[in-house]
Amino acid sequence: MKSITSILIIWLGLINVVSAQVPDAAPASGGAVTPAQSPVSAPANAKSPASDNSFLGKDVPVFNPGTELLAWDGKHWNINNQRIFQSRFEKYLNAPEETAEEDLQYQQLLHDILKKLAPENYTPKNLIDAWRLLPQASNYTIDSHLCDALADAVYSVWSAKRAQDRLIQANEELERQRSIHEWNARMANEQEPLSAPSNQAAGQKNQPQAGNNSKDLRIAPHLQRLAEVNILIKANTLKREVSEVQARIEFQALIVQFFIQRRFQHVIMATRFYRYLFSDGDTSLKVGKDVQELFAKGTGMPPTVGVIDSLANEAIRDVKEGVDAFRFLLSKDELESATKRLAEAFIVGEYMPEIRKLPRDMKRQSLDFTQKSNRLISALDVRDFTLAENLVKEMEAMAKDFDSAQPRAAIETTRTISMMHLAKAKNAAVSGDRVTLENELREATTLWPRNPALAEVSKLIFSQADVQQQAIADLERLLSQHNYRQIFDDKLRFIAATAIYPERREQLKKVLEDMQLVEATIARCTEIAKRGDYAGAWEGAERMSKQFPDDSKLNELRANLTTEAAEFVRSIRTAQQLEQKEQIGSGLAWYLKAQKLYPPSEFAQEGIQRLVQKIIPAS
Amino acid sequence: MARRANFSISPVWIIGLILLIIAAIEVGYILLRKINNPYRTTTTLNVPAYLENSNSLRGNTYKVIGTIWNSLAWSPTAGRLFSVEIETTDGVSVLPVLIPAQFNYVTIEKGQRFIFQIEVDEKGILKTKDLSKV
Repeated sequence: MKSITSILIIWLGLINVVSAQVPDAAPASGGAVTPAQSPVSAPANAKSPASDNSFLGKDVPVFNPGTELLAWDGKHWNINNQRIFQSRFEKYLNAPEETAEEDLQYQQLLHDILKKLAPENYTPKNLIDAWRLLPQASNYTIDSHLCDALADAVYSVWSAKRAQDRLIQANEELERQRSIHEWNARMANEQEPLSAPSNQAAGQKNQPQAGNNSKDLRIAPHLQRLAEVNILIKANTLKREVSEVQARIEFQALIVQFFIQRRFQHVIMATRFYRYLFSDGDTSLKVGKDVQELFAKGTGMPPTVGVIDSLANEAIRDVKEGVDAFRFLLSKDELESATKRLAEAFIVGEYMPEIRKLPRDMKRQSLDFTQKSNRLISALDVRDFTLAENLVKEMEAMAKDFDSAQPRAAIETTRTISMMHLAKAKNAAVSGDRVTLENELREATTLWPRNPALAEVSKLIFSQADVQQQAIADLERLLSQHNYRQIFDDKLRFIAATAIYPERREQLKKVLEDMQLVEATIARCTEIAKRGDYAGAWEGAERMSKQFPDDSKLNELRANLTTEAAEFVRSIRTAQQLEQKEQIGSGLAWYLKAQKLYPPSEFAQEGIQRLVQKIIPAS
Repeated sequence: MARRANFSISPVWIIGLILLIIAAIEVGYILLRKINNPYRTTTTLNVPAYLENSNSLRGNTYKVIGTIWNSLAWSPTAGRLFSVEIETTDGVSVLPVLIPAQFNYVTIEKGQRFIFQIEVDEKGILKTKDLSKV
């Protein structure tokens, strides 16, 4: 069967030459081909097989059923990943079954022809009858006038044979003439001359030479004609042989053509015609050396018409078995195997009735699976693993025998690696390592371009970058405004933003420490005020406000406490104003008043000390 | 029946006598005060005005009566600085009063009440020109 497949793959190879199918990458040694192994573009400088010196390139195509790869001329193709094949196969799966009356009539005609040409039924009349049926079969569209071609070839052979018969008859006539000329020549040689006895004495010594001359003159015309006849006989013999060889070659070429076209019924018809037409027993192929080598290397046998005939029969049987297997597997919901068997049978016997009559409803099930398979391959090719995973689930649900291990492994592995790159990208973003961030993002994108997390993370990273930049700008603005309260209230945002900026981080640290001090003061003053010591609370807030005069919260507290300890605050404020005006006496009087109102007052005590020093410096 | 002698003091006389006694006491008190206040001719310091703007009173001499509240500073050459509680119409104020070294002989203790003759010195400092216990 391998030989049959190998030969049939030639057809694919020939299609390849025309369609410039992109080759698949060769698998690693011993490694199985995974769905993720996508076809790669053919190198620009790759020579097409057609451009090679030898027919079909330098190597014979070899098909590996294990990997479903065709190796040919140093290139590899996955037979299931053929655009031409896929399109033809899908077209077939969508086509209705050919069970119309016309199709049945055509098949009946072919059946009748084959029956008449069967060895057990051979008679010259059956041969003629079979030949007469060929034009009828050719009238059907599906035949593509191949039967006409066969009928023409048979007629050509007959014409050639009639010509040969005429040459034989001509040669027979020439043989007869040759015999006559040979006899005449012999007689002329033996015959003595009847005249010239008187000269016998006179010319004793010249008599032998004169007699010879006379004989030669008598024989010469016969010999010349004999030579001409011989030449004609040889020429006719040569013509007959050439005519026969030419007819044989043309007929064999037609058989090979049918075989390559996978018209196996036509092959069998042609080989049976051939045997009757060339009944000399010589069935060896007289076609070109390349084709001979193709069959010889593919089958391991000398290329003969019989070999082609047996290959065609084997292919027909194989197609029937494939279709039976498809039906059985389909009934068991094993769609993957069923589809593969049908695809294999389709490759070999696209025009076989078993293939053509298959019901469309059955084929549609396989089509659905095939389309999903193709979409899965495409999804893996473009690394859309989300779609691929969904397809794998769907295919698992619809086909019991679907082997999801390979696509799942490819999906999960690539996903994991992509997510690892994303994690690294995140870390790089946090640490501000832009080079690593870009590299990791690129890697993650290459591995899984449609990763939903990629867009999410990218958005997050870029939004983080925006937020960070905005936060830094806000921090600078607030620092310039001395709005430390706002910085403190939004400290988490600024801490995160300044993580990668040491200088600003130090600035923020100082601000936050100060604000913590302010907060502690506010808390303390609030507690003091709760005890009714408003003057003491005001003093704490006032002292802190001198350091942070713009803190709104502190100012608000200070304002509230000013109201509560109005007389004391007024005394201190007036004292300070008078002190500034160098009215030491009255200033001191106000400080004393404040001290009287709130004896623990530090402001009053400090003011008193300052002014006392001015009055009595040496004290 | 024997006739009793009719001797009575008219109430008018009694009231007049009482008023006379009160007037005598008042006059005596006033005279006593005038005898005890040696700066009775000196103007009393307008404390609110001083607290408002001491520069406006600079160079003037006033008298104040107050109680020693606290000792603020002391220097053998410059003298002593006390805070003195002074009762005003608005309440109690505490004013700093500088007692120069020339009065070092005067014993001054917290709670003692003094009458000060003071001059509003430069920078509004109340500098004692004379003092006496009340």
